[in-house]
Parts: sequence; C-alpha cells; structure tokens
Amino acid sequence: MTKLRNVAVVGFAQAPIVARDEHHTAQEMLYPQVRRALADCGVERSEIDYQVAGSADYIDGRPFGFVSALDVMGAWPPAQDLHLEMDAAFAAYYAWLRMQAGDCDTAIVCGYGKASEGEPRRILNLQLDPYYQAAIGLDPVSTAALQASQYMARSGADDRDLAAVAARNRAAGARNPEAQVRAGASADELLATPWVVAPLRQGYLPPLGESAVCLVLAAEGKAETMCDRPAWIHGVDQRIELQTLGARDLSRSVGAKLAAEKAFAMAGLESAGAVDVVELSAANPAEELILCEALGLDAQASRPVINPSGGPLTGNPLMMTGLIRLGEAFRQLSGRAGARAVDGAKRAIAHATSGHCLQQNAVFVLGSDRRWS
Amino acid sequence: MKRPVAVVGVGQTQHSSRRADVSIAGLVREAVDRALLDAGLEHKDIDAIVIGKAPDQLEGVMQPEQYLAGALGAHLKPLIRVHTAGSVGASTALSAVTHVASGLFDRVLTVAFEKQSEGNAMWALSPNLPFTAPLVAGAGGYFAPYCRAYIAKTGCPPHIGPLIAVNARANAARNPYAHLREPMTLEDVMNSPYLWEPIRYLETCPSSDGACAMVVASGDVAKKGPRKPAWVKSGYSYAEAMWVPGRDQVSPRAGRVCAKAVYDKAGIRDPWNEIQVAEIYVPFAWFEAMWLENLGFCDVGQGWKIIDRGEQKFGAHLPINPSGGVLASNPIGASGMLRLGEAALQVMGRAGEHQVPDVKNALGHAYGGGAQYFAMWVVSNEL
Repeated sequence: MTKLRNVAVVGFAQAPIVARDEHHTAQEMLYPQVRRALADCGVERSEIDYQVAGSADYIDGRPFGFVSALDVMGAWPPAQDLHLEMDAAFAAYYAWLRMQAGDCDTAIVCGYGKASEGEPRRILNLQLDPYYQAAIGLDPVSTAALQASQYMARSGADDRDLAAVAARNRAAGARNPEAQVRAGASADELLATPWVVAPLRQGYLPPLGESAVCLVLAAEGKAETMCDRPAWIHGVDQRIELQTLGARDLSRSVGAKLAAEKAFAMAGLESAGAVDVVELSAANPAEELILCEALGLDAQASRPVINPSGGPLTGNPLMMTGLIRLGEAFRQLSGRAGARAVDGAKRAIAHATSGHCLQQNAVFVLGSDRRWS
Repeated sequence: MKRPVAVVGVGQTQHSSRRADVSIAGLVREAVDRALLDAGLEHKDIDAIVIGKAPDQLEGVMQPEQYLAGALGAHLKPLIRVHTAGSVGASTALSAVTHVASGLFDRVLTVAFEKQSEGNAMWALSPNLPFTAPLVAGAGGYFAPYCRAYIAKTGCPPHIGPLIAVNARANAARNPYAHLREPMTLEDVMNSPYLWEPIRYLETCPSSDGACAMVVASGDVAKKGPRKPAWVKSGYSYAEAMWVPGRDQVSPRAGRVCAKAVYDKAGIRDPWNEIQVAEIYVPFAWFEAMWLENLGFCDVGQGWKIIDRGEQKFGAHLPINPSGGVLASNPIGASGMLRLGEAALQVMGRAGEHQVPDVKNALGHAYGGGAQYFAMWVVSNEL
C-alpha cells in the first residue's frame, strides 16, 4: 500500500444546535466558528492552505447558497477551495486525501445550512429516484421506518430495544452543552410518545435543528504546533450503495461494513471493540443498531462508549451531523469533552452518512498517537 | 502531486436542448460508457467516482448522485459529489486528479452533467440573496454589467462580441457533439436582439442537456493503456469572496492567481507561445476577450485585439474553443469538464475534425459563481 502521511484534527468549533436561529444567516452562524477554531489552533486564516465545505442548496432553499460562505471562510485574498454537496464529513475526507496527495498541509472544513428555512421532510423526498420513488411521497421518516421494520423483523429487536437506545442517547445529550435536546428521558417515557411513522416514535427521532461547524486539519509537522493533543487520523474509508430501496437489504448496512473494514485495515485496528469511544451518525435507534452490527460493535457493552455526545438523536443539523461526529471524536481524544469525557480515551471511531436509509457511509478511525512513523 | 496522473479516457454525450430519449441516468450513462470504452476499461476496474453538477434546482433532484449510484456503477465504491457553481465540471475533474495523486486510487471515473430540460434554468440561476434586491435575471443579467465594464475600460469595439460568437459557431460545425452547429454571419449576430445589453441573443450560450466523463489514472496505469494519455501537468481551483471592496469583477484576482499557479507548476513562462490550444469557459461572447487577459495570454486591454486580428481562430496562432465551447453547448454542470476533456483530447491527438496540429500543451478552464470560482488544468502530450 501507498505510504500515507499522518494527518490530525487540530481544532473544532460548533454553534450550539438550535431549532431555529432567527437572528442569523447561515454565514453569520458560521463566521464565529471559523474564528474560534482558528484561535483554538493559534493561527490566522492566512496560515491555512486549503478550505473545503459541505452544504446543500436545497437545505439553503436557493441555488449557490455556499457562495456566500466564501466570505466568512476567508477567501480573500483568493483561496484554494472546494465545495461538496454532501455532509461536511465528506469534505473532511477530501481534505485528508488532498494532504495525502501532498497538495496542502493545513485545511479548514466547514459545514453550515439552515434547515429551519424549509421543510426538510418534503425537501429530502427529492433525493429519491425522480421517476419511480420520489413521486410516491416517501420522505426520510417513512423510508427510515421501512428500514427499522425490516431490521426488527430480521433481528427480533422490539419497540423496547429501540426505546432503550434512544434513552441512552438522551441521557448523554444532557451532558452536552451544544446538544439541542438536553432533557433526559426514560425508555418508558419514550415508549409513550406517539408514532410518527410506525415503528418510529416521536421520541426516537431528532427534532429539526441547525448549527454551523468548522474543523481544522493539519499534517504532521504543522499539527503539533497547532494543538497540544492532536487527534490523528489512523484510517478512513467511505462507500456508497445503490439507492433503490427494494434492491437493498435495508436491515443491514453493507456499505458501512465495508467502509469500516477498509478503515480498520488502514488503521491497523483489529476490531471496533478495541476503541474507547464511537460517534455514529444514526438519526434513529434502528440505524444505530444496524450500524453497530455493521461495525462489529456490541450495543450493550459499556466500552466503547457509543455517542457520549448524545448523538444525532439530540441534535441533527443536516449536512453537518457527520462532521460533528468527527469533532466529537477530536474532543474526546484531546481532552476537550467536558462533562461527557470518556475516561482514558485513546482511540475513537467517527461515522458519517448521506442519503436515505444509510445509503452512503464514511468511517474514520482516530487515535491520540501518530499512526505511521 | 505525489505521483504522475493522466487522462486515459474521455466520453461525452450528444448535446441538445432536450434529450427526451434518455432519463437523467441514461444521459450520464451515455458519457460514462463512452469514457470507459475509450479507456478500454470496465466498471469493475474503477476504484472511485467523483461526480459534479451545478445547482440541484436545475433538475429538481436533490443530491442526484444518490439516485445515480447504480447508473454510475458506484455500488460499494467511494464517491464524492462536487458543486462549485459553473466551474464545477472542472473542479470535479481536479478532485479526481487528487484521488489518484493521493496514491490510494489507480483509476477514478469522473463525470459531470446537466439535464436542463428537466427544469427551468432561468429560475434556478436567479438566486435571491438575503438583504439584496432581487435584480438578477438569470446568469446573463448578472454578467452583463461586467461586459459593459470591460468595454468601458478597454475601448473594446461593438463588433468584438459578434466576432467571437460567429467563430464559436464556425468551430462547432467541426464538432459532431455540439448542440448549436448552424453557421451564422456577423450580421445575424448584430441583428439579434439584446437580452441583457451588451449581450445579444446570439452571443448567449444555449441551455443544453449533456454530460461528460473521464477516466483519470496513475502514471503506471496510463503507460499500460491502449492509447496515448493526456498527462496532467498541473491543476488548481481558487475562489474569492463576494463582498470585498477591492474585487475586480472584470478580471477577477482568483482567476489570475489560479492561472499563475497552474502555469508555474506546469513550467510555463509564456502561455501565449507555450500553449497551443485553450478551451475556456465563455457563456457570453464578450468573456472570451476578458479571459484572454485574465489568463495572462496578453496584457490588460489587449484581449479584444487578439479577437479583432483573428489570432484565436481555428488554424491561427492560439485556437480558442475549437470545440465551439460553451457558446455552442452548455449543459452547465458538464461545461467545465467538457473544457478539460476537450483539452485532453487535443493533446492526445484525438479531437477529430477540430484537432489542432502539433499540440504539446493545452489549457482547460472554467469559472463560476459571480466570477468567483476558477478551476483549470494544463495537460500535455509528455509526462
């Protein structure tokens, strides 16, 4: 295999996730995060080689929404730049690739978007095959419910199992000052919430939320000067699957499984159980259980700790949920996780997804030590 | 770049105003199949896919790469989706180059498309920015003031735009894939109505359905391929902020910086004499004169004189857009990749009827946003 560079997450800043920030545009929400992330690294924007962002025009409700972000990301004088129409975690993946290509040593990765400007359930219907699937009115909750049903039928998991997963995330979210849902809830309380689309209850789904995030990546040589405890990327991989819902076994995530295998091999990680903390982009409890199975995690075990941040169930800002997972992994490994810190965390997994029913998955393995000598 | 990268296959669709014979997936697949055939490869040989297109509002499908995963042969492969406005076709291809240069992928399929007949481009390209008067009437309404400013600044005479438009059509007549191939005269253009003064109807790009795909590969793979590859000497994407008092929207700084970076990396000191053909992004005729200056082919104020002397025509000193360019075919998301792909075909010596003789270096260029995003590469017939 090709020789890889050690690249680390060295800074991260996030606006608290809220249902609707009616006072700020997406760019106004992002600007303070860029400044905070750079200040955290002790550098000015002029010291950063590359910028890359993830957002979606349909979430912004207008074409070219990302163009306005150039100003707040600092594209003056002109900057090397790219924008992905994806969760910003994939932008982080691309920045990492660019460092592997030797084209840059430092990068900022931004995610933004105001989901409250539109109706995401209707908008995300437009991700589906326009000829055969979008027209029948499926939305992300109804497709997720199909997936949850299929998973429950195969695995034997029941309503109570889903409630237990949601309750654990809710308890964790209470310790995360940037989570949107900070009130804990017991499994019994969640079981009493109404169906949104069976078998998914209101208590199993995140509310609509928005935020803005900036993550800083740096290659070995620079990373140490920007951060006292960099979170080194040991391995990363991402895979997409066919969209066609009827052509996939929705009860399994073969894409997440393959991405994990490849990322673990790159990281020299024998199994997911060997890490201390895992952050999954699971927007409902069935997705979390499907991802645990795909990654080879025991959802019942006390280690690794799964979603100590509360995960997407306590805050799911579209197009940045995945990047927040990467940021949370950095916080855990760099001693910045506050009340939700996992004791002695040395290795972490961060996961991102895109599309309906976990269609695309990215898996990052991070460690507090360099991967390659 | 950590290791050499080359283009080993190029494919494009027939471009037209309405490809009613194919779905969005069918259109994309037409370009992908041709690129794979050209490279002598199959889907199973591809390690990753990089796809780009302009705003999703053009077709009304959000993140269509998700629906297209099957048609792209992407199942269980890495895929990223790029969107950098009009420059996207070019920045998408450059992202594929990064994939290969990283050492982690040997053969990457890159594709860009737009099926504008599925929606309404005028609506999709008229963003309503917060706190700004909604004055924009499509891209032409946005860019016409820049053309006026260019004319005012340089004394560019009124026949230059029409000359550029006529030349684009003459070139497109030699390109079997082009959307608009009917020849036209200077009078035809001069007599066509203004859409956004000084931009006339016949100085405006069409709204097209079309796609372009390329296979980008490592040097080792390229050397073993069935045909001569196009070596990527350099490629960069630069962007500049929107609300900066010092911005020059006639000759944007990001374009100048990007061109310099690309030439420096490719070892080109005198682009006018060291580049034999350029495919540049000209959606409205006047931009050809503007970009000649911005790209450093001449000094400020000299771009229109190159046009006036005809030095950019097919068979002249530096043929610009021998394919007919964006003025002949504009499937927006694909237009940038078509420029880079046509540049690659020229150095491979496989551009057909519009082949320029003895091409060593070719420039492919695209821009987007409010003339804020620039992406370009120099390809060569030698490593």
